Amino acid sequence: MTTRGVGRCAALAVLAAAAAAASLAVGRSSGGAVLGLGGPDLAPAILAEIRLPRALLGLLVGGTLGLCGAALQGLLRNPLAEPGLLGASSGAAFGAVLVFYFGLAGPQSLALPAGGVAGALAALAALYALAGRRGDFLTVILAGIALNALAAALTSLALNFAPSPYAALEILFWMLGSLADRSLAHVWLVLPLMVPGWIMLAAAARGLDALTLGNETAASLGLDPRRTLWLVVGGTALAVGAAVAVTGVVGFVGLVVPHLLRPLFGFRPSGLLLPSFFAGALLTLVADVAIRLMPPGPELKLGVVTALLGAPFFLHLVMRPRAAALPGD
Amino acid sequence: MLTLEDVRVRYGAHEAVRPCSLDLAVGETVALVGPNGAGKSSLLKAIAGLLAFEGRVAFRGRPLAELDARARARTVAYLPQARTVHWPIAAREVVALGRLPHRAAGQRESEADAAAVEWAMRQTDVPALAARPVDRLSGGERARVLLARALAVQAPVLLADEPVASLDPYHQLTIMAALADYARRGALVVAVLHDLSLAARFCGRVILMQDGRVVGDGAPAEVLRAEALERHYGVEPYIGSHEGQRVIVPWRPLAK
Repeated sequence: MTTRGVGRCAALAVLAAAAAAASLAVGRSSGGAVLGLGGPDLAPAILAEIRLPRALLGLLVGGTLGLCGAALQGLLRNPLAEPGLLGASSGAAFGAVLVFYFGLAGPQSLALPAGGVAGALAALAALYALAGRRGDFLTVILAGIALNALAAALTSLALNFAPSPYAALEILFWMLGSLADRSLAHVWLVLPLMVPGWIMLAAAARGLDALTLGNETAASLGLDPRRTLWLVVGGTALAVGAAVAVTGVVGFVGLVVPHLLRPLFGFRPSGLLLPSFFAGALLTLVADVAIRLMPPGPELKLGVVTALLGAPFFLHLVMRPRAAALPGD
Repeated sequence: MLTLEDVRVRYGAHEAVRPCSLDLAVGETVALVGPNGAGKSSLLKAIAGLLAFEGRVAFRGRPLAELDARARARTVAYLPQARTVHWPIAAREVVALGRLPHRAAGQRESEADAAAVEWAMRQTDVPALAARPVDRLSGGERARVLLARALAVQAPVLLADEPVASLDPYHQLTIMAALADYARRGALVVAVLHDLSLAARFCGRVILMQDGRVVGDGAPAEVLRAEALERHYGVEPYIGSHEGQRVIVPWRPLAK
């Protein structure tokens, strides 16, 4: 990364930290937004048990989605790749849905995220069992996409056979993705999976750069594409699987963030990893604060907001260079 | 010295390279020639360790298979035929990727890396393109940037698959001269070439392949004779001479 890149990355980190602070300062009750940290009405318990986990999870989950999006786009050399592509995220969703289905999910219970984590790991294990021996890119990607579809179909099946309409609604709402009402226990549950996932992705950085020149050149540079492949696939499964297990599906962050950053940091995949982490965290935290500032009423789900804002914005990003490229337009 | 012992490449039942043994010396510029499908690229890839093969390849007596991936990458540089660059990164960044085997993870570009990158870019006449994204380069310009990437490795063995294929005449001559110069400074250069005049003029040794077999190996004047070209390429060549060098132009296809 250039000196300017380091400066920009540091600026993103500061903004993400500021967004986390804002997340601590804004609460929501049935009457709408509650502003401020101090005041006699805010017990320290609210800060420690409600707002702190929410801010921390926003940071961790958003950062993970941004980082994994950048790594997968680098791996597949395709700007359409996103963290949910290879099945870890729908595997986690299915694991969590099973917990709902069997009625094991209680308020603040850890059965739900634990089921999600188990689902993500099962999806990764299945991917490795199917495609690990041959290990070529196309097999792994196609197997991942197939597993993704299978997990989504099984989730629909569980919804279909939901014991009651209320249970089905509960499952659907959870899948929309949210950071609300999580506890510090959730943070401790995801960290042991996220941190090794991040380390694996960081270890893939040079391999991702080398892949820019194609698999053969990467191998001739001493960076085995299969090693890079499994570092990214495994790292994403661990980190995104853990993220989905606690928050449900938060879409578009992983897809959009690397696109946003390329004009600032260039196209080299390794140079996008750390900035994408901070930008993912920033975007997620800002969206989550915005939700709490909405007028009174049912709280919007984070996944709904990121997709609602993300989709048109993404379209704008994608269309802009096309329009500029048309002569006389 | 690069030694090949019974190197053989098979794709299923198809034998791309039949068992072949060669001694290639540092300081040599070797042209690997032959018709399409002769096994030239497969042989290069086997030496570079990019595909499964039988037999042994050793450099200075040490089998390449025994080296760890980074040491091997520092020993053998490889320029593939495909000119793929997946992201529109700047030409200089592309060339700098050639220094990856010289850096451990997390290490930044050293002064030696920067010097090697500058040197390699001068060799292929691309310093003026340094800041241009590779998607804004012409095919020939991109080919020169990618050759600079392979040169930047500064490996004692450079394998180049059709390094001058899409270049204009000026750059065909200057790039071939740069490759020969690189060999003279103490490297082995093996280049797949289709232009037989360039092979005859810039390479001290020509290896002719057909159907996975080495069917000719020696000085250009010995290997690139009319009857050999007729038999193995199926063309009647014009062979002339200019300033004491062979000029070879494929003239007429022969009836098969």
